[in-house]
Amino acid sequence: MGIISKILGVVLTASGALILTHAMDPNVGSLSFVLFVVGLLVMSVGFGLLTAGKQKKEVKASLPTVTEIRCNGCDFKEIRDYEKGDYILKPLEMKCPKCSGKMTIEGVYVVREEPDKDRF
Amino acid sequence: MQIGLDGGEYSWVLNLVFFAFIMIMSLYGQKIQMWQWLKQIEAGLIELKRMAIESRQSAIDTFKEHGTEEEEVAKEIDRWLDYFTIMPVDLDPAGILKRLDHLLDQRRDRFQEFVTDLTPDASNSERMNLENTLEVTQVLSLIFRIVRHFYLLGKKTGSTIMVMQVQMIMPELLRLAKAYSDAMDAFSQGKPIGDGIGPLVVTKLAREYDATPETYVHEVTKEVGYYPIEVEGRTVYAMRATGPGGTVGKPGFAVKKIVEDNKGKIARIITVDAALKLEGEEMGRVSEGTGAAIGDPGPEKHAIEQAATDNQIGIEAIVVKEDEAAAVGVLDKRVLDSLPEVIDRIKIAIRKRTKPGDKIILVGIGNTIGIGL
Repeated sequence: MGIISKILGVVLTASGALILTHAMDPNVGSLSFVLFVVGLLVMSVGFGLLTAGKQKKEVKASLPTVTEIRCNGCDFKEIRDYEKGDYILKPLEMKCPKCSGKMTIEGVYVVREEPDKDRF
Repeated sequence: MQIGLDGGEYSWVLNLVFFAFIMIMSLYGQKIQMWQWLKQIEAGLIELKRMAIESRQSAIDTFKEHGTEEEEVAKEIDRWLDYFTIMPVDLDPAGILKRLDHLLDQRRDRFQEFVTDLTPDASNSERMNLENTLEVTQVLSLIFRIVRHFYLLGKKTGSTIMVMQVQMIMPELLRLAKAYSDAMDAFSQGKPIGDGIGPLVVTKLAREYDATPETYVHEVTKEVGYYPIEVEGRTVYAMRATGPGGTVGKPGFAVKKIVEDNKGKIARIITVDAALKLEGEEMGRVSEGTGAAIGDPGPEKHAIEQAATDNQIGIEAIVVKEDEAAAVGVLDKRVLDSLPEVIDRIKIAIRKRTKPGDKIILVGIGNTIGIGL
């Protein structure tokens, strides 16, 4: 149905354009304005068919939540995917690979896109 | 080309079309407009219904993880979706806040009872998160049912004003519903949300001054406690709701209690909270001002203001600006990055507006979901 209506839309738009062109011919005489209206109508139906139908919604994937882990003793930092049970300031069993110190979850967050800046 | 009204033998056709158009538009123009508005509301309603159904399913999935059968969970949640709270009578405003506070306590107790009955094996933190999940599902269901009510009523009565108002407010409702719908993931999984920046600031500051989960004094009031810390010679009661379960507790009454327990000794109350940003403002922008930064229905804010006024205590607020989606959704990196600035401003407030030996209440307002002590 989708493709048929699109083809029909193209055909009607083209026909409408042809009728409009023909209406502008000075030899047509008094029928020209009727042809003009008919051409416009046919063209608008064609455009309608071309643009009709549900536009597929772009499904935005939900933003990944990340967990930021830091060493309590040095500046070591690791960012990994969020795991159920993670919470901010949760002390972890794992040791720091750099200094073997204790590690804590310092952040659980998402990074959202910056919207385009407005002129104001 | 002859398109004029007076040329050619077929010009009557164009005249007829023109007059027919004028007649149709003057007689049925409003009906056509109504039809357009109703179609737009219908499209919004479809979206609202989808969000309500998805959040209900998400709540069912989260509850059934705790061992209860899906059918039973679904039946109970459906029963709970239109749970209501009747606001106290305001014809006689005297004591209205006390009555409102009582009703809110009762409501909270019923929520807790419901969640406990359905998930007897869940931990306290998990139950708090489940309560939050249930509340989000309720909100989405309520938005859908109210919009549907006005849509159907407008259609039935043909009331242009009713339909027009719903159509005009629809984009805002959809934005709000989308913010809550996106937040379901945070609430059902116990992730920290943007509203939790207040408690997070308090804990981070308290830890700088050697506070630990063990030094946290629990239950000053329901689900609210404090870290007693020393900051440059001042005693600071760094107060927040207990986490990492999702709760806001009753921080206003906790402030009131600490003020009463330290009669005449509290020099300043500093509140930290998330605030809705204006369009165009930066996410995570830090602002400060005077007053109690707390967005409760009334009793908590009143308790802080009354305690401050009765004891002539200076009161100030520091807020982090966020939009609705960030406030109820998973914590945004830009909001988290505002932490050092908020802590700096608190230190400046303490240093400039109090003197050594003073006692200060610092209170972080917000939902503690996903934020440990």
